[in-house]
Amino acid sequence: MKSEKGLSSRKVVDKSVRGLTLLVTLLILAPLFDMIYIIVSNAVPSLSLDMFIHTTVTDGILNAIVGSLFLVLLSSVIAVSLGVFSGVYLAEFGGRSASFIRFFADVLTGVPSIVVGYFGYIVFVLYLGWGYSAMAAAIALTIIMIPYVTRTTEFALRKVPSEIKEGSYALGASKATTVNRISFRYAAPGIMTGILIAVSISLGETAPLIYTAYFYNYLPNLALFHSPVGYLTWVIWAFINEPLALAHQQAFVSSFVLMVFVLCLGLGARFLVARWWKS
Amino acid sequence: MAKMKLTTRGVSSTTIGLVVVLVIVVVAAGAYIAVTGVGTTTTTTVISTVTTTATSTVTAVSTSTSTSVSTSTSVSTSTFTSSETTNTNISATLLEDGSSLLYPAFNLWIANFSQYYPNVHITTGSGGSGKGISEAAAGTVNIGASDAYLTISQANANPGLLNIPLAISAQQVNYYFGSGNALNKIHLNFSASILAQIYNGTITTWNNPQIAALQSASVAAQLPSTAITPIHRADSSGDTFIFTSYLSAGDQYWNKTYGYGTSPTIIPSGVGITATGNSGMLTALSTTPGGIAYVGISYLNTANQLGFGYAHLQNRAGNFVDITAANIQAAVNARLSSVPTNETASLIYAPGANSYPIVNFEYAIVKTTQPSASILAAVQAFLTWDITRGNLGYFLLQVHFVALPSAVAQLSLTQVASLHT
Amino acid sequence: MRRQRTPENRGDRAYRLATAAVAASIPIFMFAILIFIFQYSLPAIRFNGLGFFTTSSWNLGNLNTAATVVKNGVTGLPGASYGVIGLLVGTLFSSAIALLIAVPTSIAIALFTAEDAPRVVREPLVALEDLLAGIPSVIYGLWGITVLVPLVQSTIAPGMSKVLGFVPFFGGGTNTGYGLLTCGLILALMVTPIISSTVRESFAKTPSELKEGALALGCTKWEVQRRITIPFSKTTIAGASMLGLGRALGETMAVLMVGGGSYAALPSKIYSPISTMATAIVSLLDSAFQDPTGLALYSLAEVALVLFAVTLAANMAARVFVSGGVTKAFVSRSEA
Repeated sequence: MKSEKGLSSRKVVDKSVRGLTLLVTLLILAPLFDMIYIIVSNAVPSLSLDMFIHTTVTDGILNAIVGSLFLVLLSSVIAVSLGVFSGVYLAEFGGRSASFIRFFADVLTGVPSIVVGYFGYIVFVLYLGWGYSAMAAAIALTIIMIPYVTRTTEFALRKVPSEIKEGSYALGASKATTVNRISFRYAAPGIMTGILIAVSISLGETAPLIYTAYFYNYLPNLALFHSPVGYLTWVIWAFINEPLALAHQQAFVSSFVLMVFVLCLGLGARFLVARWWKS
Repeated sequence: MAKMKLTTRGVSSTTIGLVVVLVIVVVAAGAYIAVTGVGTTTTTTVISTVTTTATSTVTAVSTSTSTSVSTSTSVSTSTFTSSETTNTNISATLLEDGSSLLYPAFNLWIANFSQYYPNVHITTGSGGSGKGISEAAAGTVNIGASDAYLTISQANANPGLLNIPLAISAQQVNYYFGSGNALNKIHLNFSASILAQIYNGTITTWNNPQIAALQSASVAAQLPSTAITPIHRADSSGDTFIFTSYLSAGDQYWNKTYGYGTSPTIIPSGVGITATGNSGMLTALSTTPGGIAYVGISYLNTANQLGFGYAHLQNRAGNFVDITAANIQAAVNARLSSVPTNETASLIYAPGANSYPIVNFEYAIVKTTQPSASILAAVQAFLTWDITRGNLGYFLLQVHFVALPSAVAQLSLTQVASLHT
Repeated sequence: MRRQRTPENRGDRAYRLATAAVAASIPIFMFAILIFIFQYSLPAIRFNGLGFFTTSSWNLGNLNTAATVVKNGVTGLPGASYGVIGLLVGTLFSSAIALLIAVPTSIAIALFTAEDAPRVVREPLVALEDLLAGIPSVIYGLWGITVLVPLVQSTIAPGMSKVLGFVPFFGGGTNTGYGLLTCGLILALMVTPIISSTVRESFAKTPSELKEGALALGCTKWEVQRRITIPFSKTTIAGASMLGLGRALGETMAVLMVGGGSYAALPSKIYSPISTMATAIVSLLDSAFQDPTGLALYSLAEVALVLFAVTLAANMAARVFVSGGVTKAFVSRSEA
């Protein structure tokens, strides 16, 4: 046991550590607030109806917004269809093949998005001859999104109480019916959370899209092949390097819109989790 | 014990999710439908108070150097008139990418071209000349723009690829000493040799005796001891090509050791910083006091607005010349006789007392064989328009380009006519 | 005792096979990427040999002749040489700096959030942390260019040079704000939320009996944390750091925007401009197409292979330490 003198010095150390952790937390949060401040202060003065009606050719960002949503929607359709049912397989039918697939899902999250983009460019854009296209971009985004959707679906389905499932089996329902009618309803918030997270990630991706969707100054013509698509993250990356005020405005407004999307998706996910937890 | 609450909670959460997705789809579709027909064929009128004399003073035209064309605050109608009638028969969507030096000119041309060919939609890009060439070769764009002609190996690998000059441009060397510094207003003298040593890291400070030796005594005294930060292109760039061509032509050591090309790695790594696109060069320079950068002449106005200085470069005859239309023309005239039918020619380091040393053809890189009749018609219409109407002073003076001599223009038109499906 | 398998009826079997087929898409994607990258880089592997890992260069060779050279059965342009050391050093150094800053920072934040923060503040703090983790990297890059680069150029770099200048790596010219230091700082910012959220959850799981026992013995809060909480989560901290490392290694856009760009040179100072393997793939891809032999493209694939291998190693290490796998850490929010 230390002496009184030692105690006060230990107390001093303790208090300084308390202060230090608080300081560090504030230090990390400061850039976040600064980021939001910079984006908001630069974007808000430039917010006008014009920005959202015109395309990047005519001082707006409409094509970037629509393009981003288009790409995300397209890739979500594929990623969710594949991911949810992959998650079903992992949760309902276990075994060695399931852990094999789980391992690869983990590996897939670690593939740098530029490598996915490079793969997409050489294989889809060039070798298969699709050119810069929404489909090439969608497949690249799907590859990035799938592991998240799969694993969240798996976790959500695992949380379904077994009594409910067993009750369903006892009534003679097949596995398919049980999952589709019962488990999904129970696990829906969890699955939705995973989808929202994956959507948020794909909205923010740039590197894989640079060489698959390229960029397009007009509204996407909804063709899946041979037609590039514009998107918000390109505007941010390319336009901020312009020494022109207008281009900067477009970049900041795009950042603002993107942040709003990311925020809504994040809040939506937390909201779902809270409700789900409560139930 | 789990309660059977799934019915109410579960359904509402799924419903929320579905509603969110539906809202996004509806908003996207609604926006698309609402704007279709308005957004896609909008043309902007480009402002110009340009007089068509050789030494025109171009008022500040803010050509946006990204994938957009901006209008300046004083909107006026185009002063360009033509007896050409509108052609609505030719209809296609064309993709262009490549040189950021040619990019502002392309946007100027397209803004007016689309008034006469409203059904041709052209998307421009400025990914760099190397990208323009490779994308044209791969067929991912219809027209590649390049400041660099096709190299021997590129030409051999792509026998069906043409380089067609559309205009003549030049390149300046900009530098920046910080906001308000008097040196920004002085045109420093530079030779290829000095620039070569700057770009390979041998000369590291502005008050280096070799630099001072080229200036007048009063200017040399003002040179600071700050470090020089050479800025070069990170993307595969025609500007790098013509700049390193100049260095190779004027400096034996550079020619032997580094050579010239569009690749970002021609210039030794680790010296200075990189930037993407001509506009990126300007941005990087604006945040790097003591920096020096090679920038395409179509960005000279912007560079001036940003307060950068530009150099007088030493030409083959040994004179330090200014970047004026007359000096660029002198270089062209000196090299005119050596332009072959395929128009692969370098205008760098031309002989002549007044020839500006970094002058080049701006090339459209296109495939001889076009994918369809409509695309062929559109490409031919656009390229012909550029070579004839687009070469008028009204357009070129805004970007400080010089028109193709009529002999070269003829060769270009012949190449355009040789395209087929 | 072996669980008895009940006979599977046809409907269930069909469902199992159907979902298995869908789930197989994941390894199929994985193998497709792996096989493609490996096969595409084979010519480069043969041409470049071991020199790829011992030299630093990116030279396409002489494009202005029609001549080619053949080495180990692979055609290339005369003078072509590719070496990845510069990019590897850029990648590893920037990630190392990021981790050096991020790990202690994350532990501090985790301690604060898990233990010190009043309950009212805790939930918003966690939400803010998640928000930080979800911000796209272009926006980090945007902030980097707008705020961090000028800050490093005017304040941080000169200050560091003055204080630590006796070490050659930290001394000397600090001209531009674009460089290794800025990359390290921005990566640290991006990686901290990932590490700290995982560590925080682990801290929260520390058995309270151990902590209460220590408190009963008269330890201060810090001593409890130092001797009980942190050591208890040792493996999780290691795993989370590996996770963060994996993220930092593959990061492209933010580093591209603040890195300054330097393909072959090794950074001589902490302020030198760098390129990482990821940014090099973005920057060098279009110039690689000029090489008619294709060697430049294959070499880029080799860079991608090395990048993939390095991130894989980090993620596998993370998997060993963090229970439940890598994706779990990201989706753990779904478990609140």
